[in-house]
Amino acid sequence: MRELFHEIGSTLRQNKLRTALTGLAVSWGIFLLITLLGAGNGLMNSFRGNMDQYVSQSVTVEGWRTSKPYAGYKENRQIQLDKRDLDYTKGAHWEGIVGNVIISTASTSVKLMLEGRKTDGWLVGQMPEHQEQDKVQMAAGRFLNDEDLRQQRKVMVVSMAHAKILSPGKPEALVGRWINAGSIAYRVVGIYHTDEQSFRRSCPIPYSTYKSIYDHSDKVESITFTVNGLETLQEHENFEKEYTSTIRRMHDIAPDDKRGIWVMNGYTENLQMNQAAGMLSTALWILGMLTLISGIVGVSNIMLITVKERTHEFGIRKAIGAKPRNILSLIIAESVVITALFGYVGMLLGMLACELLDKTVAQRGVNVGFETIHMMVNPSVDVDVALKATLLLVMAGTLAGMVPAWKAARVKPIEALRAE
Amino acid sequence: MALIELQGINKTYDNGQPLHVLKGVDLHIERGEFVSIMGASGSGKSTLLNILGILDNYDTGTYHLDGTLIKNLTEKQAADYRNRMIGFIFQSFNLIGFKTAVENVELPLYYQGVPRKKRHDLAMEYLDKMGLTPWASHFPNEMSGGQKQRVAIARALITQPRIILADEPTGALDSKTSVEVMALLKQLNQQDGITIIVVTHEGGVANETDKIIHIKDGVIGEIEENTRHDAWEGSVMK
Repeated sequence: MRELFHEIGSTLRQNKLRTALTGLAVSWGIFLLITLLGAGNGLMNSFRGNMDQYVSQSVTVEGWRTSKPYAGYKENRQIQLDKRDLDYTKGAHWEGIVGNVIISTASTSVKLMLEGRKTDGWLVGQMPEHQEQDKVQMAAGRFLNDEDLRQQRKVMVVSMAHAKILSPGKPEALVGRWINAGSIAYRVVGIYHTDEQSFRRSCPIPYSTYKSIYDHSDKVESITFTVNGLETLQEHENFEKEYTSTIRRMHDIAPDDKRGIWVMNGYTENLQMNQAAGMLSTALWILGMLTLISGIVGVSNIMLITVKERTHEFGIRKAIGAKPRNILSLIIAESVVITALFGYVGMLLGMLACELLDKTVAQRGVNVGFETIHMMVNPSVDVDVALKATLLLVMAGTLAGMVPAWKAARVKPIEALRAE
Repeated sequence: MALIELQGINKTYDNGQPLHVLKGVDLHIERGEFVSIMGASGSGKSTLLNILGILDNYDTGTYHLDGTLIKNLTEKQAADYRNRMIGFIFQSFNLIGFKTAVENVELPLYYQGVPRKKRHDLAMEYLDKMGLTPWASHFPNEMSGGQKQRVAIARALITQPRIILADEPTGALDSKTSVEVMALLKQLNQQDGITIIVVTHEGGVANETDKIIHIKDGVIGEIEENTRHDAWEGSVMK
């Protein structure tokens, strides 16, 4: 083996330009593939990250205005969900499919007051699970818990924007203090994060507390639940169709009314997202493969020329005892060494390019009003994917070397010696 | 049995129209002989040499080399026999340009699987015999024609072959160098007892050998015993 590498080393040194050209084709192919895949991954990570901020694995249903007259009602009627919808959701019909159900109340506008400082807030009755559901990030303290609900505690979670107004300079110090919301005093148990630009005014209080103070009716503002045992996009769509048609019937909404109730289905959104991501990644792979093929064509082209150029030399080698196998392995080993070496260089450069993207494009965010979106998040390629791609190229390089090598190995020594 | 035994060798090339090159060649060459094969171009001497060197095959007849029948060999067998039994010396030297003198001499042993160190030592030894030790690490294009041919001779000798086949070994050399090369071959034959067959069209070169075999129109003609080296009068060569 060492002998073979020594042989290859001397021929490669002999033909520096040819070696460099072949190497360039290979490196370029791998470099493009890695960079392309890395950038694609960055884009997809960014999609996913932006999605995750809003979409959780659950279904949320809320009332909405109708768009069609039906059953004696005019259009544009506001639908209000109530206990019937909740019972239906939790009922035997969906046993085993509908998992955990949480509900929230409508909101009530109040003035928040502390030591003469005032701001506006929207009280809304919620459950502990809403933290997960709404992706609430706590800046200080905690979100609502089960005890708050059970004991109908007068506790409240406010936004950082609120806290900065009510407790200037030291917003975190607001946790634990009692503030007035309208005529009732609540203890602040936590502060959640808001973006610099946005001013979210919703102030979650325990669902039970809200119902006992502000709303004694059966009304439910929104129903959110998890779904189990459904796998495909089709299954989720069928479930949603059947579920909503029952809700529509209970509220006398036209079966074909696109409005009336509003459904946010995190599962289908995610599945569609994954489908799109899958398509993007397939497209990137196809593009990458095409660039690889051009690299391989380059290698085999140069291999063909090489063999032609070296026919006389192979003739000499054969005359003094080289077997066809020796010639074959010499050429193939040469093509493997070139592709592997330069493929590796291309891979490293590609990874470097991904790193560069991470340092530049990924750092630059785009301001979309209430928050900053990053075009790319962590653009990189798994090492094993990169290695696989390089391995593939080496194998392709071998195949590329195979045809000319066969040709060279089969030329008769006298014919080869005659060639110049 | 003689070292080389050719019996009724026929060879026809078929490039468009058949060309009968060798028409029943019979030839016996004993161990330790120093022979030349002479003929004009087109006489079939190159074809005969290629068959003797197992570079080409023949149609009918038999060829025994040191008792082994050389017929219908696979490429692999042919390569192996060439490597172990035959040393080639070519008109145009046929050294590999990107290898140094010593690497060129080593090459036949590489194909025998001899370890690098042993190979190198042996190659240096043979270069020394040719008086080329200081040129061992030079490339062919840095050497004179005579030096190149001596590197080629060292390469031919390194496997200790049964025969040396020299195809116009002086064809690319000036007359002074030609004399030196022929003297070297003669010395190898006399001192080391190596069987040497020289193919040439030059009378002066053939005159240096002990036996001259004339070939004409694909058949062996006159065979001259030339132990007194007087087949050509006057100057030794050219």
